[in-house]
Amino acid sequence: MNENEAVVHFRVIRFVYEAGLKLRMKTIPIASACVLYHRFFRENKLDSYDPYLIAATCLYLGAKTEEEQHVNIRDVVNVTYRTLNRDKPALEMGTTFQQYRETIVNCELFLLRSLQFKSVVYHPHKFLLHYLKYLEDWFDPFTWKSVPISRTCWALLRDSYHSPLALRYKPQHIAIAVIYMSLLCHGVEVPSNRVSDSTWWKVFKEDITLNEIKDIINEIVYTYDMETALQT
Amino acid sequence: MQHAQPSSSHSGGGPIRQPNRHEDLEFPYCPDSNKYEKLAKIGQGTFGEVFKARDRKTKQVVAMKKVLMENEKEGFPITALREIKILQLLKNENVVNLIEICRTKATPYNRFKSTFYLIFEFCEHDLAGLLSNVNVKFSLGEIKKVMQQLLNGLYYIHTNNILHRDMKAANILITKAGVLKMADFGLARALSHITKYTNRVVTLWYRPPELLLGERNYGSPIDIWGAGCIMAEMWTRSPIMQGKTEQHQLTLISQLCGSIKPEVWPGCDKLELYSKLEIPDGHKRKVKERLKPYVKDQYALDLLDKLLCLDPSRRIDSDTALNHDFFWEDPAPQDLSRMLSQHSTSMFEFLAPPRRLNNYRPAMPPQAKHQPNMDQHFERVF
Repeated sequence: MNENEAVVHFRVIRFVYEAGLKLRMKTIPIASACVLYHRFFRENKLDSYDPYLIAATCLYLGAKTEEEQHVNIRDVVNVTYRTLNRDKPALEMGTTFQQYRETIVNCELFLLRSLQFKSVVYHPHKFLLHYLKYLEDWFDPFTWKSVPISRTCWALLRDSYHSPLALRYKPQHIAIAVIYMSLLCHGVEVPSNRVSDSTWWKVFKEDITLNEIKDIINEIVYTYDMETALQT
Repeated sequence: MQHAQPSSSHSGGGPIRQPNRHEDLEFPYCPDSNKYEKLAKIGQGTFGEVFKARDRKTKQVVAMKKVLMENEKEGFPITALREIKILQLLKNENVVNLIEICRTKATPYNRFKSTFYLIFEFCEHDLAGLLSNVNVKFSLGEIKKVMQQLLNGLYYIHTNNILHRDMKAANILITKAGVLKMADFGLARALSHITKYTNRVVTLWYRPPELLLGERNYGSPIDIWGAGCIMAEMWTRSPIMQGKTEQHQLTLISQLCGSIKPEVWPGCDKLELYSKLEIPDGHKRKVKERLKPYVKDQYALDLLDKLLCLDPSRRIDSDTALNHDFFWEDPAPQDLSRMLSQHSTSMFEFLAPPRRLNNYRPAMPPQAKHQPNMDQHFERVF
């Protein structure tokens, strides 16, 4: 993926999060929508498709597969339209609305076929939750309370979906890398990590290496660089 | 922004510069259903049609299940999506195997709307079809084999946090080699922390008492109840409780399993419909007694009694049921392949003459009632 494409995807994912939150979708359904989006563009060229249409459809499909039952097609059309056209009035019921709806419905079938109907996504969230529970017990309560380690973890994990990270790494590995990065940010160390026989990350998942952790972190850092670049 | 809004000019999100060539797009992972040749219709229900078909190239025989696109405004039906998700997750000897998903080409003739088909491995019989044929006789060992495979399948799906929610004999397929496959996951759901499911699931005759009383926070015991009904059916040859309405079904259950009251099922009076439905009083539990004329085996009666337990929290689970003496006392479970090899025709409920004359058949469409010719009810396997 070249740099320009990465920037487009970054923007589109930001749109997915914004629209997803407006649709009152929960974390996992939005994350699934992001992964479906990245899966699609791993197989297809960016210049052949409108990424915002694909993104809106991924939101709708993500809501369906994750049983987010309050999300209906009407809301998806209205919210995505408003998010993309801030200066225009809201969409009225009518031909345009129906065209948008039909487009998303057709695109959903297209998306499902492209994805080989594989709409199941495994996320790092449940692993992160368990790992953090363990870490909490290893830390002294004072440090754990005074340093927002877990809050940073969740923020990092959420932002990691801006790049196709989830396609290349195991969910457990991403969870571990996010913890590593959070500890690094706050300058804290897991107690007795230096003197123990095994590093803390090996305890959580045997097959992860320090290099892989660093690769994942580099990729997350790269996403943040992109955000800075977009702002300037 | 370059991509300012979802473009509606190209239907189906096809390449932007070829607005009308959507139908020509190649989908490497979603073959044209034309690669299969339809041989016969083998099922019909609320879910849609099922066909027996053959791969034109490999000659592999398959079952094709049409995806009903009822509410096309809402896109691909969530029920079909659930079924696909669940089938992709479940890979087990006793669960029907989803081979792939096909679609018809979008053409002007179907208003550019593709039809989707789920392609399954073909199984020669379903249990309802076998039970409706008097020439098919199950020995005790063979019944044990059926139940062992059924409970094994249930154990597998339940450990994967899936509820089947539509247990009935017609959804239990059996290959000619005697391997049982649970099928039709159209109502199935993944268990999650959400505790409000719809209670309008499971064919009435196989519906457990907790669902009839309006429980919305149910679990795997609902499938176990169905397994109990199916087990009894192995001897009685027709569904044991054929209620006409939900109230009637509840009455039939009370007549067999005893009155539903807090003494035998703590908390049942808290269920939504407990006060709204008429709860028959004064019935004794007669599961063993009523089934004794059909079921001679003591162990079988004991297992039936435990499967058909009113209180879902005390109903036996599949793991415990598999350890029940029924499966470990003589005669041992016996392979079905030899018995089935005596029958050279496929037996499906859809193709079979009605099992219970003058009986209400909720799951059957009207056209199945007047099948033209008795001799053609069964279709050749080979």
